[in-house]
Amino acid sequence: MQPDLSQIPDNALLHAIARGDQSALAACYDRYRVILFSIILRILNDRQEAEDCLQEVFLQVWRRARDFDEARGRAFTWLVTIARSRSLDRLRASGSRLRLATEAAQAPREDTGDAAEESVRSEEGALVRKALAELPEEQRRALLLAYFEGLTQTEIAARLGDPLGTVKTRMRSGMIKLRELLHGKVRR
Amino acid sequence: MMEHQEYQELMALHALDALEASDARAVDAHLEACARCRAELIELKDAAGLLAYGATPAEPRTELRAQILRSIRAAADEDRRGSRISAQVVPLSDWRQSRAWTTGLRIAASIAIVALLIGIVVLWRRALRLQREVADLSGQVDTQQLDLARNRDILAREREALALLTSPEAKRMELTGTTAAQNARATLVFDKQTGRAMLLTEGLPAAPPDKAYEVWFIPKGHSPMAGKVFTVDASGRAMVSDQMPPEARDNSVIAITLEPKRGSAAPTGAIYLSSPSS
Repeated sequence: MQPDLSQIPDNALLHAIARGDQSALAACYDRYRVILFSIILRILNDRQEAEDCLQEVFLQVWRRARDFDEARGRAFTWLVTIARSRSLDRLRASGSRLRLATEAAQAPREDTGDAAEESVRSEEGALVRKALAELPEEQRRALLLAYFEGLTQTEIAARLGDPLGTVKTRMRSGMIKLRELLHGKVRR
Repeated sequence: MMEHQEYQELMALHALDALEASDARAVDAHLEACARCRAELIELKDAAGLLAYGATPAEPRTELRAQILRSIRAAADEDRRGSRISAQVVPLSDWRQSRAWTTGLRIAASIAIVALLIGIVVLWRRALRLQREVADLSGQVDTQQLDLARNRDILAREREALALLTSPEAKRMELTGTTAAQNARATLVFDKQTGRAMLLTEGLPAAPPDKAYEVWFIPKGHSPMAGKVFTVDASGRAMVSDQMPPEARDNSVIAITLEPKRGSAAPTGAIYLSSPSS
């Protein structure tokens, strides 16, 4: 009898994939496709390329699941890190960073559309989005530039036209607030 | 070296991959030694991961699910075939080991080439140094040979002079400076029999570069007969051996004039030294 994979925790799901369980990968896709595709699309800003990249990401999840070690972080982090790295690699390779110049520094939009129906992650997503919206504008912009454009602190300071020291402080404060979120409401 | 506190401050930025490469390397080095920072980085990376929610949620096309699962199935089949083939051919560990061997050999070869190049450079520089030393030494030998030849020459002339002076047939003439060289004087010693003559000067002014002194034998009733051309040292000394023409061995005047460097057939310049006219 096939167990109901939609209910098993993220860690167990990745362990199942590591053992070569293709249905576990399918369950992982159902659970994570929206958040991973959102990251990729945000970075690459091109649906076709984003879908190619999503396919690459799941192939990597399939092949590297045995590298996942819950002692070294959440399954969520492991998965989004793969999506982010893959997209940033593509972005750098294609040199299409300019397309993003205006979009990336914008605040996340509140409308979540159909994708918000995604059940397992929606609660955590709503919490984080709310917390992000509550961050001071300049903290949020700096963090999102680092995350979605892969900029270094120096590049961010140059982009925002702020002193490096100020940018560092803002990013640290923002990160501290996000970490508090993990300690409190977000499931580890 | 940074303190733990400073690393901790960099950690949040490291979790976002936002450090410059050099800082990131320093933090990584610290992390290897600091368990507390490692634990902290894990938390901060989880926190950074939450930023993924900052992207506007988006759905991929529905067809993509089937497409991705097909590619996973294909990859799984390929991996199974691949592992069967590798099991038949070379055990993975052996292959790794052989690769380690080739890598080892490559590194060894690189080291050998570098060592060889260094060796060549060292030898080349040593050869250059030796070449310079040889050149210096042969230069010294040349100088010494020249000195030796000069000394032999001087010795020969001194012997000659001594022989002349001690010869029972030796005759001696004193030359005195003219108005052109009032401090100069010279002695001519000659063997009346053989005509061997030796002139010793002192106090003659140094000849200009394009000039030299010339000896003249002036027998009575004859035009001057050219003798040796010579120059003097810093104190105006010279020791000149010459052959006296038979006509000049009796009753002649000896004079020294300044002439063009190669000498003249007949005197053209001023007289510097002269024996008293008899």
